[in-house]
Amino acid sequence: MEIPKILVPVNGERVDEEVIELACTIAKRRKGKVYVVYVIEVKRALPLDTEIEPETQKGEKVLKRAERIADELDYQVDTDLLQAREVGPALVDEAVERGVDLILMGIGYKKRFGEFNLGSTVPYVLKNAPCRVLLWREPID
Amino acid sequence: MNVVIMGCGRVGAQLAALLDEDGHKVAILDVEPYSFRRLPSTFQGAALVGDGTDEDSLKRAGIEEADAFVAVTQGDNRNVMAAQIAKHIFKVPKVVCRIYDPLREEMYHTLGLETISPTTVGARLLRDVIVS
Amino acid sequence: MYIIVVGGGKVGYYLSKTLLSEGHEVLILEKDAKKCEAITEELGSVVVRGDGCEARTLADAGTERADMLIAVTNEDEDNLVACQVAKNKFKVPRTIARINNPKNEALFKKLGIDVTVSSTNLILEHIEEEVPTHPLVHLLTLKGGSLEIVEVKIPQNSSVAGKRMKEIDLPPDSVICLMIGKWGAQVPSGDTILEAEAKVIAVTRPEAEEALRAALTGS
Repeated sequence: MEIPKILVPVNGERVDEEVIELACTIAKRRKGKVYVVYVIEVKRALPLDTEIEPETQKGEKVLKRAERIADELDYQVDTDLLQAREVGPALVDEAVERGVDLILMGIGYKKRFGEFNLGSTVPYVLKNAPCRVLLWREPID
Repeated sequence: MNVVIMGCGRVGAQLAALLDEDGHKVAILDVEPYSFRRLPSTFQGAALVGDGTDEDSLKRAGIEEADAFVAVTQGDNRNVMAAQIAKHIFKVPKVVCRIYDPLREEMYHTLGLETISPTTVGARLLRDVIVS
Repeated sequence: MYIIVVGGGKVGYYLSKTLLSEGHEVLILEKDAKKCEAITEELGSVVVRGDGCEARTLADAGTERADMLIAVTNEDEDNLVACQVAKNKFKVPRTIARINNPKNEALFKKLGIDVTVSSTNLILEHIEEEVPTHPLVHLLTLKGGSLEIVEVKIPQNSSVAGKRMKEIDLPPDSVICLMIGKWGAQVPSGDTILEAEAKVIAVTRPEAEEALRAALTGS
């Protein structure tokens, strides 16, 4: 199985570190490439290209951290900061545009109204991504 | 008083019966004739099949001579539209309209419609019963 | 321009598709989850699920910065309310409503909707343009069916054009009640001259319809 290009979405949560490491390990062994992306969701009340200062700063920080994690593994990742209305479609678009072979997504164990909740991004990507998708869920703590 | 009521649900039917008992001339409209089963057998007024957002149906119900118009169908938007027809086209002196959605009610209230939101009123009543 | 389209049915979908291709920012508001999904699949993230008449949905949609709101659902009352909320609460400069019942056109204008589009009227206008050879149009059959109101267009070459009303031979029980000519509508007297190209509204009996048409349009 050839897996040269991996897309890793991050959002500043703890699980980011694990998936970046995992992606780097896979890519390194197979001489692949890792793209780490952070998507800023822009509310409809604002035009899509509005620069939202705190969000942009947070995104840049998260991507810097991703680069450091990769550095420690002696590996180089490409990073990208995107603005979109919804994360799911933005990730799928990005995957198609870059022609990646795998999307590696990490999620925490999240609850909403007292029950486990997957959110809307993961199901969207699972349903619509043309490439392989690997979902990495953190252990329940 | 001549009153036209749009919507023969529980509220519409009961209102029609009350006004009828008090001796007012009532005409009630509903798109579904089966709804008229809610009217008491003693009801003296007119029950007409028709859509209150249609000017011709309103005319048949006597809107041109009406002193009051009440819109109490299940649809907020239908009530709002009928009430505005009654107020702005037929110049009915007293127009009242039920709007469930509190935000929409607030807006139409500021636009000059007389509105009642059972959602707001009901929630307040229940709270008062609980905390009293 | 930022344009909000309320209603993701066929009209809303194709309208949005065209607006997007013209480079506008478009957002569709649609209540039905299935329709939302189908639109997202075709057009991307341009749809939000929600009721376009609700102030909260409109606020989330960024209606405040919208240049235009177009309401194209199947229900006239929903289109009216969506436009009124947009106009009064969010100060949207231009609101357009689709109208299904042509009778609502005047009402919507009166209530502050900037533009109304009535598909029924559009089709009727086209039919009238396409069928100019049929100058008599039924408007109304009066109660009992013994009398009807018709509209007749007086052709340029009609033999009665230019004559006074009292000189025109009409079939029995037929009366010209109104003439709509170059100078607007007027109730004709016996001395009124029938203008070529004018429209007249007449009362007649169904059986005399053909004779009336011949009397007014014959050359």
